[in-house]
Amino acid sequence: MDAIFKDPVLLATVIGTSLPFLSMAVILCLTRHNPMLSSRISVTAIVVAAICALFNLAKVASASHAFRFDTAWMSSGNIHLTFGYYLDPLSALMLTIVAVVACLVQIYSLGYMSGDPGYSRYYAFMSLFAWAMMNMVIASTLIQLFIFWELVGLASYMLIGFYYEKFSASQAGKKAFVMTRVGDVGFFLGIIILTLGFGNLGIPDLNSAPGTGTLTTGFITMAAMLIFCGVVGKSAQFPLITWLPDAMEGPTPVSALLHSATMVAAGVYVFSRIFPFFAASPDAMLVALAIGTVTMLLASTMAMTTYDLKQVWAYSTVSQLGMMVMSLAAGGYFAGVFHLTTHAGFKALLFLCSGIFIHEFHTNDMRVIGKQGGRRQIIPMICITVGALALSGVPPFSGFFSKEAILAALNAQASPIWLFAGLFGAFLTAYYSFRLIFYLLFPKGGIEEKHAVHEMDSHGHKEEHHGGLFWAMAVPVMILACVTVVLGFTEHSLQGYIMAGGGAVKHASTQAAAGGEAHGGVVGHQLLVILGISAGLLGIILAWFEFGRKGASRNGFLSYFPPVWKLFDARWYMDAFFRWFLDTAIYSGLTNIFTRNDRRIIDGGIDGICFFTEAGGRIFSFMQSGMLQYNLLIMVLVAGLAMLFCLV
Amino acid sequence: MNSLNTYLIISAFLFSIGLVGVLQRRNLIGMLISVELMLNGASLNFMAFNRFLAPEPVVGQVIALAIMGLAAAETAIGLSIILALYRKMHSINIEQAQRLKG
Repeated sequence: MDAIFKDPVLLATVIGTSLPFLSMAVILCLTRHNPMLSSRISVTAIVVAAICALFNLAKVASASHAFRFDTAWMSSGNIHLTFGYYLDPLSALMLTIVAVVACLVQIYSLGYMSGDPGYSRYYAFMSLFAWAMMNMVIASTLIQLFIFWELVGLASYMLIGFYYEKFSASQAGKKAFVMTRVGDVGFFLGIIILTLGFGNLGIPDLNSAPGTGTLTTGFITMAAMLIFCGVVGKSAQFPLITWLPDAMEGPTPVSALLHSATMVAAGVYVFSRIFPFFAASPDAMLVALAIGTVTMLLASTMAMTTYDLKQVWAYSTVSQLGMMVMSLAAGGYFAGVFHLTTHAGFKALLFLCSGIFIHEFHTNDMRVIGKQGGRRQIIPMICITVGALALSGVPPFSGFFSKEAILAALNAQASPIWLFAGLFGAFLTAYYSFRLIFYLLFPKGGIEEKHAVHEMDSHGHKEEHHGGLFWAMAVPVMILACVTVVLGFTEHSLQGYIMAGGGAVKHASTQAAAGGEAHGGVVGHQLLVILGISAGLLGIILAWFEFGRKGASRNGFLSYFPPVWKLFDARWYMDAFFRWFLDTAIYSGLTNIFTRNDRRIIDGGIDGICFFTEAGGRIFSFMQSGMLQYNLLIMVLVAGLAMLFCLV
Repeated sequence: MNSLNTYLIISAFLFSIGLVGVLQRRNLIGMLISVELMLNGASLNFMAFNRFLAPEPVVGQVIALAIMGLAAAETAIGLSIILALYRKMHSINIEQAQRLKG
């Protein structure tokens, strides 16, 4: 206990990461019926947590070593598991991202969720999420990380199904929970294998393990692939993409916090957390690279056909996560982490802006919002454009810098396929983002003038929205927009900070990228920057040509290829495939066998036992006539026979 | 005439009469009396063995006395059960007592 108060870093960590839990407990137990007080408690807790996280970030940045506070938890034979905090540059950075974005989103929610019947519940779950996520980030062992990983999944489930009276929302919650669980099974198996084969799940120990040569490459590959299953599930990588777009059934701030900025980035975070471990297995890295690429391209194409504001950003999140995985798998450790950071900022910004539109116009359809005058909402319109520019990788916004870093990492790969896939992804990203922006800005047929009745209505509405509630939403959005503009310029200091502590990380990333170093990359550095920018600009220009300019058809080139449109719109039939797979393989295959086993063998066996017991009872009950003398007669006969037997 | 066998035959005879009575009589009092006969047969056996094979006089007699006491107690309990049964069934026929099996 003394140690906590002596070490300011530990004190800040403990306070920052446990306050949200306290706030959840207080809200659920005491202040549930007082929404105002509940939200104040939750926001206060998260603000304190954010301050603590910033303090830790500064401390870690100024210290030359990572902070580790551990205590033994389980010890048996060769297995030693510990429990504690591990604050290195990466986790301090992620902790700050989570705390700050959560803080902004909770402030935003004061406006967005006001008047909702589940206001207190919402804040309780948000606090639960913040607590679980922050503890996951600073966990010092994989098993501890896994525990909080699952808690984060729980919070995600509860928040997706927040409007539980809506059937699609509760279904989406279940889908998200079950699909991520598929990946988590792999993750857990990986942890078990590591526990048995290595006996120590400490993250720094794992990262230095490959260097010592105690583990075989085959073992590392197997463990890394299994852990990567968890990454696939949580970060919605191929083939478990489809839960994330459905998760948009939750309230918009939830989508902003959980399903774009922080929670889904947890998968990528785990990947980068034990990056040197992954990097020791080239096979696992190659698989991850392929999965990341496929995910990025698939999700980008899906985003080109949907008209739902949030769905576009959801697909975009999936594709950007795919890009981070690509980057990490290509050895671009810093590029991946940097993109994670910038993405958290601008994707939260995009979602929160969309939330303002959705709140104002009560629809998710970008065409309807545009028609009803979306562009008159000046603040969110500017901010969403900033976000989209960053997403498209246009300088000087933050996305440009991180995307260039990723492209540089891909460039270092031996095969040029990855670089071209990355460039193509960047092009598609710019195209679908600006398709949305132009739909909002230049709706087909101009803005519809509202009728007189609506005018009154909207007048009343406007007053409501331009009060404190509107500013509660607008201020976080503006802060995020500023961050998006500025963050890119911190690339070098951030790089110095992230790469400072990790000798293992540095070694691993050079090792992973070594394939391409030999021949100096596919294209030169100058050309790469030009290619990166032009991919984004090309996408924007194409979008302008099809959706922006006067007299544009506003259909998009995809509508000339109906089968392709249908393919993209149906999410490459992935849901249909899962349905089919469930129906044929699980329900009529496996489940059928188990049902038959249950009915015939287990039920039948128990029924048989019952039958024989009963029949036996019936037979023997004939003897129980209750006639004393018969019983006596038999006794005498038997005694007589026994006597005879003894005599003879 | 005055030999062990005579007494043994008599006691076996007594015992058999009692056994048949217990098995055959449908009257509860009759059954009780038959049980007494069986006990007496046993007592007689003890006395006979005592008299002819074990000159130490006390052992067989003690057992015979014990059997008498036992018989008295048994009769007391048996009779009281029969009384209770009679109050319930208004009969001392053992076939009526079949109803007790539930």
